[in-house]
Amino acid sequence: MSPRVPHPLEFAPDDADKVFWEACRRHEFLLQRCSTTGRYHWPAVSDPETGRGEMTWVPASGRGTVHTFSIIHHVFRPELAERVPYNVVVVELDEGPFFHSNVVDCPNEEIYIGMAVEVVFDDLSDEVTLPRFRPSSR
Amino acid sequence: MPNTSDTGCVVVGVGVTEQGQKLGIPERELRRRALEGALDDAGLQRSDLDGYIACHGNTAFEDLRYLGLGPLFSWSLTAGGATAISALIAARGVLATGQATHVALCYGFAPSAFRAGAGIGGFGYGYPELFGMVGPSTTHALHAQRHMHLYGTSSEQLGAVAVTQRAYAAQRPGTLGYGKPIRLEDHQASRMICEPLRLLDCCRDTDGGVCLIVTTPERARDLPGKPVRVLGTGTGHNIRNWYDKTVFAHHDDIAPAKERAFSEAGVDPEAIDVAALYDPFTISVIMQLEEYGFCSLGEGGSFVASGETGPKGQIPTNTGGGQLSGYYATGFTAVVEALVQLRGEGGPTQVEGAEVALASGHGGNGGVQNTWSHATAILGAGL
Repeated sequence: MSPRVPHPLEFAPDDADKVFWEACRRHEFLLQRCSTTGRYHWPAVSDPETGRGEMTWVPASGRGTVHTFSIIHHVFRPELAERVPYNVVVVELDEGPFFHSNVVDCPNEEIYIGMAVEVVFDDLSDEVTLPRFRPSSR
Repeated sequence: MPNTSDTGCVVVGVGVTEQGQKLGIPERELRRRALEGALDDAGLQRSDLDGYIACHGNTAFEDLRYLGLGPLFSWSLTAGGATAISALIAARGVLATGQATHVALCYGFAPSAFRAGAGIGGFGYGYPELFGMVGPSTTHALHAQRHMHLYGTSSEQLGAVAVTQRAYAAQRPGTLGYGKPIRLEDHQASRMICEPLRLLDCCRDTDGGVCLIVTTPERARDLPGKPVRVLGTGTGHNIRNWYDKTVFAHHDDIAPAKERAFSEAGVDPEAIDVAALYDPFTISVIMQLEEYGFCSLGEGGSFVASGETGPKGQIPTNTGGGQLSGYYATGFTAVVEALVQLRGEGGPTQVEGAEVALASGHGGNGGVQNTWSHATAILGAGL
């Protein structure tokens, strides 16, 4: 039996990011945008400049570059034993925010800082789709 | 002493329990034993304590009865690895405003008692956990990878931190590394945990308790122990670097913490005789040496590799082995070592004539990253 797929909102204190994860089910990548400053954010925040602008979830490019990464060899939890070695990357999205994820369709040893990537959606279950990133050609 | 700083806060009692793995001692019992040690060291009684700050988790409500204390207040302070110095800052305010005269800062943590497979290494930090980002070593690896990219820092330079600090610990009884020096080859041969960090780039969970007692300079003069003055303190928060996307290029938001602490103490980095830096991973030492100004940005690796943090170097650093090779008492490892040096109790690794020490702390989970709070303390020997 494969392990239960946790829902992303189990890792959040409330449902503030629910719209994002529901969009992932539809294979849409959203970011939160402040109507006053125009800044994009992830996860849900109050904009640090005004804090008063309306925050709306808007479609985003799903493109960015690898800002930093690590290849994980140690089994930090039993449920991760089958995945090692795996990568964890921080993508700097074209709109600005960082997004922690994984790079797919690329050997771990070929990941580098500055690598251009684009989102791909990984349907893990009927309820959970995770955005991961693959090398892009630009 | 080159400075005239008077923050009105003096450490007069230090209690450190046995520090080790799987001691089997409950956390509040570790706090009780640490408190006993600090009271004895300070020459104080329980009835003298009128302030209590619990420095690990939300234990302030329950600790007093078990510890047999009756202070005027009991607070829990939680800032991850910055808690110890943050509690010193809180105590400064308490003393300065006359709310209390003798304040105990008490820590006891037994991570090895956690369920199998967990411990600090299994901590999660919000949604990145979905992608397998687990534990502080992974978050620090993201910093290390970025530092290597920006400055060419090498695994061998990370290893130099591990070897240097183990050499200190090897001479310090009671540490995990006592009697066990390592060579760079050992570091390079140690297994990969999360690239670029190897096993010997990481500290280990340790059980233990620490208690500090602070009071005013006036009161400290009447006590029999070895007083250490708090010369200056400061804080910074990495959320500012998160907003401007330099969070992975910095080891915390050290600039404002440093500026405040040095300004209060009336000294510059050249006046620091010994540094005690928060060091769960080797990269932490390299990045903090740079940001505190002991070397230039990007030169931390070569600075350590050329011996500048060793006993004969420009700035002896983590002279008890630090968290990497000494013991992990969260933010208290660094503060205790600064106190040890300023009290002249460093044994074979005592820095001769140490009068001013710098201690740092960092940590705290921000939902997406794990190095949020930073705190700096500059401490001075004697009254």
